[in-house]
Amino acid sequence: MRCIRTRGTVATHDKIRAQLLKGTTPLLVLTVLKDGELYGYEIAQRIRERSGGAFTPSEGALYPALHALEADGALEASWRESDRGPRRRYYRITRVGLGLLDQHAQEWASFSLSVGKVVGGPNQ
Amino acid sequence: MIGLLGILSVLTLLVGTTVALVRWSERRLDPGADARGLSGPAATEADAVASYLDRLKVSLTLPAADVAEVSGEIQDHLRDSIAALEDEGFVYLDAVIEALGRLGPAAELGRQLSSAHQSTRRLLAGAGGGVFAAAGGLVLGWIGGIALAYLVVICGALGFGLLSRLALPVPDFGSDGNVTVNSLMMAGSLLVGAAVSTRYAVHTSAGLSRRTPHSVAPFWAVAGAIAFAWLAVFEMRGPQSWPGFVACLCVPVVSIGAALVRIERTITHAVRWALLAGLGGSLTLLASLGLMLAVTLADRSSPTVTASQAEPDMHFGLVAPLAPQVWLPDGTTTDGGWTQPSQESGTTFYVDIDATELANWHDLRFEAWRGLDDNEAGLDPGFSTPLVSQPAARDGTTVAATIHFERMRDASSWWVFLTGLGPDGQRYRLGETLGGGSSIFYGSAWDWLTASQ
Repeated sequence: MRCIRTRGTVATHDKIRAQLLKGTTPLLVLTVLKDGELYGYEIAQRIRERSGGAFTPSEGALYPALHALEADGALEASWRESDRGPRRRYYRITRVGLGLLDQHAQEWASFSLSVGKVVGGPNQ
Repeated sequence: MIGLLGILSVLTLLVGTTVALVRWSERRLDPGADARGLSGPAATEADAVASYLDRLKVSLTLPAADVAEVSGEIQDHLRDSIAALEDEGFVYLDAVIEALGRLGPAAELGRQLSSAHQSTRRLLAGAGGGVFAAAGGLVLGWIGGIALAYLVVICGALGFGLLSRLALPVPDFGSDGNVTVNSLMMAGSLLVGAAVSTRYAVHTSAGLSRRTPHSVAPFWAVAGAIAFAWLAVFEMRGPQSWPGFVACLCVPVVSIGAALVRIERTITHAVRWALLAGLGGSLTLLASLGLMLAVTLADRSSPTVTASQAEPDMHFGLVAPLAPQVWLPDGTTTDGGWTQPSQESGTTFYVDIDATELANWHDLRFEAWRGLDDNEAGLDPGFSTPLVSQPAARDGTTVAATIHFERMRDASSWWVFLTGLGPDGQRYRLGETLGGGSSIFYGSAWDWLTASQ
């Protein structure tokens, strides 16, 4: 009985985290690409590293987000030989992407502050 | 001259831009274009990975180049992911299952990736690019069609010349003043234009909107069929014949076929084909001019044969008896004539006469009767009714009527008379004839179908 409750708690925890991450994937992607071009798997790894291993974007959501950002002109992609292994599809942030990143960052700061106030209560 | 050069420049720019646009768009439709050099599946990869990638490819509703790129990228990702999981201590098969699980169901991933590519902006670009490519393709195809038609005519003439040399029977396509040949050439050039236009539109819109050609083809098939049917049946004016009319009806069918049949195949060497068509057309034109020059010179050098001409029976009596001279004012049949200002405004016949001098005459009409074909003069005795009869409008000292021979299917040769009911109530010809001539039908396919004769 105890075991089942623990599993359920973990599952709920993952579900909440996944939902919170869903809307922030473009922000996280643009942020890590600001430092230089990366390919898909590297982007996921870099996000995990920078979050201290706290979260990794869903790989199923990462690639649609990358391709949508590319379609919007926020990213540019090109096939190149990687330092190790076969050719990779590298993503690079564009001027449009930098503008979008600023927008997303401001939105996120405002949003997280508001959520913090609500969650922390009136004395926060 | 400057206007002509301007039009030529615009057409050249349109065609050149279109060909470049189609070529650029087709890069997305060719699976090998941007995806060359992608690593193929490693021999050691599990069947599960290959199966996942296959399901992903099926669910991607994107052009072939995008499908190749996306599947190549996901394949690379899986390779990295599996290797990392193995480093973490997973056994290979468990690593594969875990890596695939992290990506989620292939169908869902494919749907999301397709959706990410197919933005509204790209859809609008595809629609606009498709319309532009259709216009350019129509011009290019039409020019190519004309060149092709001339080529066929020249080949046909050479073939018939050969048959004639061999004393074999030669089909006579020129007996109707080449109307059939001309109408077929006109419809044929539109057929080629419609085919090129529709195919260009499908490929360009698919490439720009990041959709598969077969997913956008039905739209362009319907749009092309409607637009080209309207153009072929109502708008394209010129000589008409039944074979040409049937060819016009084929235009929308060809447009649909061009949009749907083997549409996934890219149009290879568009520029090369355009150049070949242009070169072929130019050579054909030069050959035609040379042939005409040779025929003209041959005619000049041949001796003129003068035959004694007996006065033929013109069969004018079929129309009505000639009115007695005493009932007619002087010069009734000579002070008049006819004008044919343009191919579409009909032929106006007039007779200068003082209306008061025809006070005893009623129901004046201009009657056109079918003439004998070829070089024989006179009315065709096989007909007992006029081709067309038009009431004469009196205007001061002139009686006139306009007859639209160009809207009659079978009015290649005609004679026109002014007739009226004389003082005794009988119909008479007021003079011999106002003249004879020949006309060819000129109008749209719809005009041809609805023509009275």
